[in-house]
Amino acid sequence: MNNYLEVRNLSKSFEGFRLHDITFTLPKGYIMGLIGPNGSGKTTTIKLILNMLKRTGGEVKVLGFDNIADEQEAKRNSGVVFDSSYFSDEWKISQVEKSVSAFYENWDTQKFSEILEKFHIQPSKKVKELSKGMQMKLMLACAFSYDAKLLILDEPTSGLDPVSRDELLHILSEYIEDGGHSVLFSTHITEDLERAADYITYISYGELFFSGRKDEFVDSFRIVKGGCEELSAELRKKMTGIRIFSTGFEALVKTGDLKQFAHLNVEPASIDDIVVFTGRKGGQYE
Amino acid sequence: MNNIWKAVKLDFSLVKPYVKTICFTMILPVVFVVVNRSLLTGISFAMCFTAMTTGYTFSITEKNSMERLYGILPIRKSDMVIGRYIFIIIMGLTALIFSLAVHPVILTILGETISKFDFINAAAIGIFLFALYTVFQLPGYYKLGSIKGRVFMYIPVAGFLITLLLITKIPVSESRLLLTVINSPVLLMLSAVIFVAAMYTVSILVSIKILKNKEM
Repeated sequence: MNNYLEVRNLSKSFEGFRLHDITFTLPKGYIMGLIGPNGSGKTTTIKLILNMLKRTGGEVKVLGFDNIADEQEAKRNSGVVFDSSYFSDEWKISQVEKSVSAFYENWDTQKFSEILEKFHIQPSKKVKELSKGMQMKLMLACAFSYDAKLLILDEPTSGLDPVSRDELLHILSEYIEDGGHSVLFSTHITEDLERAADYITYISYGELFFSGRKDEFVDSFRIVKGGCEELSAELRKKMTGIRIFSTGFEALVKTGDLKQFAHLNVEPASIDDIVVFTGRKGGQYE
Repeated sequence: MNNIWKAVKLDFSLVKPYVKTICFTMILPVVFVVVNRSLLTGISFAMCFTAMTTGYTFSITEKNSMERLYGILPIRKSDMVIGRYIFIIIMGLTALIFSLAVHPVILTILGETISKFDFINAAAIGIFLFALYTVFQLPGYYKLGSIKGRVFMYIPVAGFLITLLLITKIPVSESRLLLTVINSPVLLMLSAVIFVAAMYTVSILVSIKILKNKEM
């Protein structure tokens, strides 16, 4: 099996929001960043993958299993980390293990203890006594203890300090090192993806904007800068997004259209630039 | 270990930190036994109070956003529901056994005589009342959650009062079938078990349907 996650034409309608025709695949051994502004549909996509929401269309395969028809098989080797703990606050860490381990045949108690030690989590502590970063590590420790092949993380870095974020990214990089694990990682902190992600899936206003290799994504756009007198109506039409200042402008353009902007200052675009410029409806702000 | 039993164990670990509170609800009816000097009253109150604690699992799940944990575990929704019903039935049976062990001792100390028939009668009615309360409560909690569904918590109280009212209105002496059942401990117990099993089956099916259609 080459793809650990296959999402095809996934759709979901709510009142006032529609996730439409989302298609992407996550190959084995890679980290994919699922990005988009707040409310773009990242969490909805993840909940649909986990069958926590009912899809209105499309198909999802997790580790080769249909996420609805073969739900148990799909979840048996998947681990999930949300932005906050899903364990009882009153549970001690040892109770977390007792409660969760029974559901996974390949749970390794020795491994769980080792990971707790590595993450500096004391088994005698209660979940409510752990910091947000530690709670996130506890969810990861559980997923690692049954050797989850696919790890799905929903905004794990939101609310974490830079040190904890750095630690998480390091843990994820180690996790995929053997080539047998994959990570789907939703975030709006694109800085994290610059470091960790191999693939990007970008959802904007419920629509798929891009899905593919991160380098290809970043390479397909450039930032151009110039003075106000250099900005013609014809050029504006070719721009994906533009920001106008009193002294000049900067704009996001497609690399393929770069010839027409050769007279301007051209800079590489960051993931953040692409999200900021494309995330605004109309793509312009002055 | 099958998934239903795993779900029962998970529910037990949810309420474990609150065991003292639940135990208190089992002890409280002793006061009613002392005041009313009736085994039936004591058992009825015990089952009513225990039924009111069945919302704990839902409240704890909601308070800790644990529906997400239930959503990611490799277990069928139907197994989760059956597991929760079994856990709640175990809670009810524990309360019943405790009450049947303690209340007759207290009554005997107070000088009351408890016959074997009183004992079986109280047990059958206790099982029936607990089932009557919980078969309505649990689908309510699944549908509305522990906060909005709190209204279903009062069903045991209303149900208890209605039961007391109806018992006095039923013309037992005119119904030969009812008389036969009431006067035979075996038939009384059997009828209670069949009726309770039927009620739980319907309630479980409704709860499974609700959970399957619920978005987390």
